[in-house]
Amino acid sequence: MTGTQLEIQLIAAIVAIACAIPGVFLVLRKMALISDAISHSILPGIVIGFFLTEDLNSPWLILLAAVTGVITVVLVEAIQKTGLVKEDTAIGLVFPALFSIGVILIAQRANDVHLDTDAVLLGDLTFASFDRIALGEVDMGPKSLWVMGIILSVTIGLLVAFFKELKVSTFDAGLSSALGFSPVVLHYGLMSVSSVTVVGAFDAVGAVLVVALMIAPAATAYLLTSDLKKMIGLSILFGVSSAIIGYWMAHILDASISGSMTTVLGIVFLMVYLFAPSKGLIAVMYRQKQQRTEVSLLTFLLHLNNHTEESERHINHLNEHINWQRVRSQTVLDLAQKNNMITISDSIVSLTPKGKEFTDLALEYIITNKDEKIEHMKDDFFLFRG
Amino acid sequence: MDIKEYFSLVFSDYTLRTITLGTAILGAICGMLGSFAVLRKQSLLGDAISHAALPGIALAFIITGTKDTNLLLIGALVSGLIGTFWIRGMITKTHLKSDTALGLILSLFFGFGMLLLTYIQKQPNANQAGLDKYLFGQAATLIEKDVTLMAIVTGICLVVLLLFWKEFKILLFDADYTKTLGFNTRFIDILITFFIVLAIVLGLQTVGVVLMSAMLLAPAAAARQWTNKLSVMIVLAAIFGAFSGVFGTAISASQNNLSTGPVIVLVAAVFVLFSFIFSPGRGILFKQIRFWQNRRDLKLQKTLQFMFDIAKTHEDISHPHAIKILNNFQGFTKGSLKKMEEKNWVALQGQKWSLTQDGYNAAKNLYTQE
Repeated sequence: MTGTQLEIQLIAAIVAIACAIPGVFLVLRKMALISDAISHSILPGIVIGFFLTEDLNSPWLILLAAVTGVITVVLVEAIQKTGLVKEDTAIGLVFPALFSIGVILIAQRANDVHLDTDAVLLGDLTFASFDRIALGEVDMGPKSLWVMGIILSVTIGLLVAFFKELKVSTFDAGLSSALGFSPVVLHYGLMSVSSVTVVGAFDAVGAVLVVALMIAPAATAYLLTSDLKKMIGLSILFGVSSAIIGYWMAHILDASISGSMTTVLGIVFLMVYLFAPSKGLIAVMYRQKQQRTEVSLLTFLLHLNNHTEESERHINHLNEHINWQRVRSQTVLDLAQKNNMITISDSIVSLTPKGKEFTDLALEYIITNKDEKIEHMKDDFFLFRG
Repeated sequence: MDIKEYFSLVFSDYTLRTITLGTAILGAICGMLGSFAVLRKQSLLGDAISHAALPGIALAFIITGTKDTNLLLIGALVSGLIGTFWIRGMITKTHLKSDTALGLILSLFFGFGMLLLTYIQKQPNANQAGLDKYLFGQAATLIEKDVTLMAIVTGICLVVLLLFWKEFKILLFDADYTKTLGFNTRFIDILITFFIVLAIVLGLQTVGVVLMSAMLLAPAAAARQWTNKLSVMIVLAAIFGAFSGVFGTAISASQNNLSTGPVIVLVAAVFVLFSFIFSPGRGILFKQIRFWQNRRDLKLQKTLQFMFDIAKTHEDISHPHAIKILNNFQGFTKGSLKKMEEKNWVALQGQKWSLTQDGYNAAKNLYTQE
């Protein structure tokens, strides 16, 4: 591994961390798409900044772009406030318009500007380590490492300083303003941090992929935990590991680094989405299936409880009366028998004392909706675990 | 070339005619289907799907090795549909919210698409150039075949829209009721989503991935301001969309260095801005004017009430009083007095005013609504 490779990985990891932290709050505040809007609409800011300073490396560029990002948020909120369209429509109207202005501005000066839309959308990490800062004769390392390093330290500083305020205003805006932390100030603070991070990261990974680095780690972590601190930690972990694995994948495939970083993020998300212990797709589907069977079991037991006459309790009758498919009835019968709740003699189903007791308890629970009645049933049945 | 020249050339010049027709048809179909997207609160679905279509285009190229537009579009369609259904799966099966789901699909699919595109570019095969036109769109590459395809799809879409009009409409406004009526909501839902995805995929070549969402949204958002009726809204949105296409093409053709996609989007944005401000029912301007009018009326009524309070203490209600005594009351101006005279509520005589019988009755009934 050469020094350049190490530097690129370091930059990728720092970008990933810097994106993951605001990303967590954006996802929790249901504002994930704002990052998408900002990442596109900063284009005119960068272009105008470039026209004013004639220098692609000027810090004014980053500042102006970040201001454009905040302006986007303000515009979206202003349109939303008129009540003419919903929030998502407002987002969808603002950023393509601003992006179009940016693209047109670039095209107007296409000949003398070293700035093309491809680079803006896609970015490139490969060259990040060639753009270095030198202090006198001493090489200080790549520029983007410094830029992102500063942004990251500011972000972490703000996170530590305002952690409890952020937490309260994210989960309960009303309580937060009652306690005296203005949700508006925190909102715009978060928006500014996100804007600056997007602008800084944008050089390295491009406009669209910065969105992936913000949303994907946070969403993946959200499927695994509901503790804010753990969620931040996990998303940093996912971000950094995807960035580094992605770098090596790009190295092997000889393809875009940012593209392969996103692909790794996608694969990680897909795995967690499918296999997360309690919130993953498979767990949810299994739980739903289990609950469906148990609801059927309950219906079945209640039916038996209601009818003493034998004709109503004949196995074949159940198919007609409760209108279940054959397979489903079989599953329910098996489950009930396994739990010693029914006995079957001569194709007539009858409740056992245990089944009777269970039905009564369940019935009482349905009527009173009090939890303690079913405490002991929770171990055996998903249905009562809420 | 200026705009005038453009309009004289548009019927004779093959390229101009093709592009203009193409963008107009695209605008119309996007406006039509966009109305559904906006009303279903799926405005940003367009953004997500247009990005999600990219890996489909790249994979279709890798598998077939050709750049046949139709094949690439089928790839885009498939990957767009996978994206849409994954979004839906995420929203219904996990606690991730719709914004997160949209953002995830958008960025992850797009990133994967970029990986494939850069991978293709490194292959020793000269055939791959031009795939990146789907990123930003190049209306100039439209040929007659593409426009025919768009026209056919628009036709089919219209027929389906008319056939399933009442189903679409009822599902849009009351999904639960639709279900209780026994309609197959899942089928209707998939049908309309399919057509939205189809429209997005068709637009990719012309306006590109990023601007596609605006094509879908802007005409519909503009049309929404002028009407509360679905059919009118869809027709209006189609017209707005088509005009954005034509004007956008005209402006970009008449200037150098203006790419068509962004100009079309900006024209559509102007339509939206105009509608936001000037629509008679919901527009900001008329809302403000109504607000001022109401405030003026209230002030007038307040003055009348004040006069009434004075007049009722006299036996003769038309007993003249000095205008001066109204001064300690804020709501009076020369204009408002004049207006009251026009309404025949007061009679003015030099520096005196007197309430008329009409004015007395009006004031008496002001709050009782008799």
